Formats: sequence, structure tokens, C-alpha cells
Amino acid sequence: MGLARAGFFLSLLALWQLLAWRGLPAYVLSPLQIIRDFVEALGSAELYEHAAASLARSLPGFAIGTFFGALLGLAAGTARWFDRLFSPAVFVSYPVPKIVMLPIFMLWFGIGDLSKVLIIALACFYPVFINAYYGVKATPAILVWSALNMGAGRGAIFRRVVLPSAAPMIFAGMRVSLALSFIVMFAAEMINARSGLGHLIRVAESSLRFDLMYVSLLAVAILGYAGDRLVRLAQRRLLAWHEQPA
Amino acid sequence: MPFVLVLVLLGVWEAAARSGLWSKLLFPSLTSIAYEFARFLATPEQLHEAWVSLYRALGGFALAAAAGIFIGVLMGRSKLAAGLLDPLFSGTYAVPKLALFPVFIFVFGIGSLSKVALVFLECLYPIVIMSSHGARSVNRVLLWSAQNMGASRGETLRRVVIPATAPFIFAGFRVAVPVAMIVVVITEMVSSADGLGYLVIYSLSSLRTDRMLAVVVAIALLGYLLDKAVVLARDRLIYWERLDTYYV
Repeated sequence: MGLARAGFFLSLLALWQLLAWRGLPAYVLSPLQIIRDFVEALGSAELYEHAAASLARSLPGFAIGTFFGALLGLAAGTARWFDRLFSPAVFVSYPVPKIVMLPIFMLWFGIGDLSKVLIIALACFYPVFINAYYGVKATPAILVWSALNMGAGRGAIFRRVVLPSAAPMIFAGMRVSLALSFIVMFAAEMINARSGLGHLIRVAESSLRFDLMYVSLLAVAILGYAGDRLVRLAQRRLLAWHEQPA
Repeated sequence: MPFVLVLVLLGVWEAAARSGLWSKLLFPSLTSIAYEFARFLATPEQLHEAWVSLYRALGGFALAAAAGIFIGVLMGRSKLAAGLLDPLFSGTYAVPKLALFPVFIFVFGIGSLSKVALVFLECLYPIVIMSSHGARSVNRVLLWSAQNMGASRGETLRRVVIPATAPFIFAGFRVAVPVAMIVVVITEMVSSADGLGYLVIYSLSSLRTDRMLAVVVAIALLGYLLDKAVVLARDRLIYWERLDTYYV
């Protein structure tokens, strides 16, 4: 299977490369050309600066959004009064694209990084909140009863039963949030920024620097992929008992 | 009771707007937003922008739904397809496809097509992942019974696999619909001369925050209604299973 898989991808890339040799439009570079440009860009400081600027926006946003999402989601799942107070507002605003709030955030929090971090945090909040909420709700009642029966207090039940049972769902939400944080980061930078990979790709686009365009595309792809791997690695380490889907 | 928090927040907003501490530009009052929203609904040109956004979102979504169900069920039921395609989808899942937008502009032009293509690509992932997951976890006993009773492969697919996968497909739809709205609005904000995303940027650059927020309300409403439509369709089509959770 591994061989067939590798062959499949290599033949896709080879096909692309062959098409490029036969002559594709200028805006489609060949895989070899992209790799050459990327290696070249790795040697200069520009790419690192933009990537660092992007990460300085997306990671704090992701951390803030995930933290409050998990905290409030767990609270809404466990405390009924909080659920009734808070959850309706979240569920009503869930399908709303959060990026439309960027302009008003720019007015409130300035045009710099703060408004972007906050919009990313807002976008990351929802998946984690909803997953934590349903993770708590899906805790098998029989486990809670057994714990009660064995004399566990409320705090112990939350820590030892509810939290471990909701944790896989929270991690699933974090994976969605991480992907979302990169999308929103990229969008915010494309709309308005002086640095970052989203800005770089806009500059490349408007100056017809196709090499630079693919370099920033590849850089974003690698960052997104690496972030996703990290979340999954953390999940595997922290939730070793949980069987996870591929 | 349930919407106390929303009402309180709106009240705080209105109070902030009326207090005069901040400029009207930062906190336009609810009445002026409501006025602009009514004006939005009453102007055919503006409603046309909403229609443009809607058909971009729905066009991309519909294409993604058709292709996504096909690929997903294929991946769920065929080991070969899963082996070849699964790394492709799970590997590029966390990659923001939005980064392809500049390339798409060159390939598909600056009009609707590049936006529809990007919506298609972003919506494809949740639908493929959910439906392949669903098709893989079809109850084996049902498949065996169908084969036992002499159902052909096509019949098994149509009568057993698809209905068993349907709840998962709709879970994928439920994730994909807000994604479609996000992508449409973002791409229109980045580069467009029409659509709701463009209206947001346009009203902002003309320093009409009340107008901008009215468009935001329209986008929010549209997102909300689309989500409700998916839930409604789901409940009609999959009447045998109740919807309890968001994901799966």
C-alpha cells in the first residue's frame, strides 16, 4: 500500500512536471521550479520575518480562543444556569462568518496586530466551545453515577470523569480551530497588513512575482501541516488511552 | 430567559452609542444600524449584492457536495481509494486553501469563478472527511444481510450504504455551509467589485460604520438561515435519526 501510495503521488507530480515542460501559463510553475525557489527563499531572511509575523498573530489568537472556548464550553456543559445564559448566544452566532467583524475590530482595537489576534481568537473560540460543550454532555451517565456511588465529590467527578471524557472532543475542536486560525490569519493579512505571509502573497500577486507567490503558499502549507501534526501529537501523548481516527 | 445575554449586550451597545463617550464611527447606535439595514432590504441593488454572494456560496457548496459525497463514499468503501486519497486529504486538511486564492485569480479570472472554485475546495474537505468516515462505519451486519438477500453491489450502495452515511454527510454539510460563507465573504473582501464582502469594505472605506454593520447583520442572517436550511433538510430526509450533536 505504501508503495502504491508513493507511486500515486510521484506520478501526479511527474505529470505536473511534464505538463510544465510542455509549456504551462506563466502563473503555473513546475514542482521543481517551486522547490528551487523555496530553497532559495529559505536562504534569505525575508521569508522567516513574514512567517514569524504570521505566527505571532495566529498562535496567540489560537491560544486565547482555545483557552476561553474550552473554559466556557466546559462551564456551559456542566452548569445549567450558565448553559441557559450563555449557550444560546454562541449557537446563534456560530454560523456567522467571524471575519466580517475584522473591519469593526480594526476601528476598536487599531489597525495593528491586536485586532487580528482578537479576530483569530474569536474564530477559534467557537469550534472548541461547541466540542467541549458536547463532550461534557456526552459523558456516559453511568460513569458519573459510579463515581458518585464511590463517594466522589463534584470537583473530583469533574476532574476525573467529565474532563477526561470530554478531552478527545476538545482536541477535535482544537484541530478545527487551528485550521481556522490559519485561514483567518491569512485572510486578515490579505485584507490589511504590512507583514506576514498573507501580505507577502498579495505583494507577490500584484507585482506578478509568481515565484514569491508559490513560496509563501508553500510556507503557509508547511506551517498549517506542522501545526496540525503538533496538535495530533499532543493529543496522542495526553490522551494515550483514547483510540483516535487517522 | 435564553437570550438575556444577547439583550444585555445589545443594551450595553446602545448605551455606549448614546453616551457620547465614543465617536459615532466606533459605536453607531442600534437605531441607525436598523435604519441602514431596512434601507439595505429596500434597495434592489444592494439585495442584488446579497444574491451574488449567495449564488457564489451555494454554487461552490453544491459542487463540493456532489464531488465530496462521491469521493467520500468511494474512500469509505474502497481500500484502494482510501489508501491513495486519505493522505492527500488528511495531509492538506490544515493547510489554508485560501492561500491558493491568488493562484486561482490567475487561473479562473477575477470574477465569480475563482471564488466559486475556492469555496468548492474549502467545502470539499469536511464533506469528504465526514462521508468517508460514515461510509466506513456502516454496520457490517446490514451489509451482510443485504448481500445475503441477493442485493447487487449497486443496490447495496443505494439502499444500505448511502442511507447509513447520510447523517454523516449532513454533519459534513453543517460544517461546510459556514465555511462557504466565510470563504465567499473573505474573497469578496480581498478582491471583488460586488457581493456582500465588497459592500463591507466599501462602507468601511466611506466611513459609514452603521452601513457596514448593517451589511454584517445581513451576512450573519444569511449564514444563520443557510445553517437552518441544512438542519431542516436533514430532519426531513433523515427522519429516523435525531440531531443531537454538531459534529457526527
